Amino acid sequence: MSDTHPEIHERWILKTELLWSFGVGVFIAAALGMILFTALTISVNPPSNVERIDPKSLHLSGEFAEHNLGTTVSDGSVTVRAIATQFMFLPRCIAVPANRRVTLRFASPDVIHGLLITGTNVNTMVVPGFVAQVHTEFTRTGDLLMPCHEYCGLGHSEMWATVQVLPDDQFKPDPDGRISCAQR
Amino acid sequence: MQPEQPSPPENSEVADGVDETALAGVMRTVPLGAAILAGSAVALLVAGYLLIYILVFIPRGTVG
Repeated sequence: MSDTHPEIHERWILKTELLWSFGVGVFIAAALGMILFTALTISVNPPSNVERIDPKSLHLSGEFAEHNLGTTVSDGSVTVRAIATQFMFLPRCIAVPANRRVTLRFASPDVIHGLLITGTNVNTMVVPGFVAQVHTEFTRTGDLLMPCHEYCGLGHSEMWATVQVLPDDQFKPDPDGRISCAQR
Repeated sequence: MQPEQPSPPENSEVADGVDETALAGVMRTVPLGAAILAGSAVALLVAGYLLIYILVFIPRGTVG
């Protein structure tokens, strides 16, 4: 058998390795292409809001003062503001409407936190000095868990909040445009 | 107590009784088997990634 010569084996092995490299190259190109395609056509991008805020005074006045936290409806747009602090979210429960675009804004006065909302693509870090902002549309009603997912200290595992997704007929903000979680 | 060190063969070029033709035959099929095994494993991973990306991630909508 002529192809049992060691040099031919070497060539054969090299051929399979080149083929493998080609396959990996095709996959990487396809994955990058898919990311680029979805970014350009349906705007699938990572959260990229860069907005500074002073962590030392954010709870004293302005957007993240205590009276301004929670859900606000203004001109039909729904905005949620919450503070992530050691070791809780303020407010602990957030009421949002189903099937409407919601803007979520978070800030931290102490250390780096992170959060996700189960069953959605909401997933961001909350870095002191910056406002983390994401948008989403909740498609199912019910209570969703929002845990801190960035280790922030000894009480990290106790740090979580609830997102209460309300159907349209139950999402009724007060005259000031504010709404809290329904008591159940 | 020091463990016993294996003594090196006196002559590493000594034939080990393996038939060179048979070894060459095995070496011809080993890369193919490895490629099929690795290819199947990677294909499963890629399929899982694609299914989650298309069926879960994209329908959940954008957050940016």
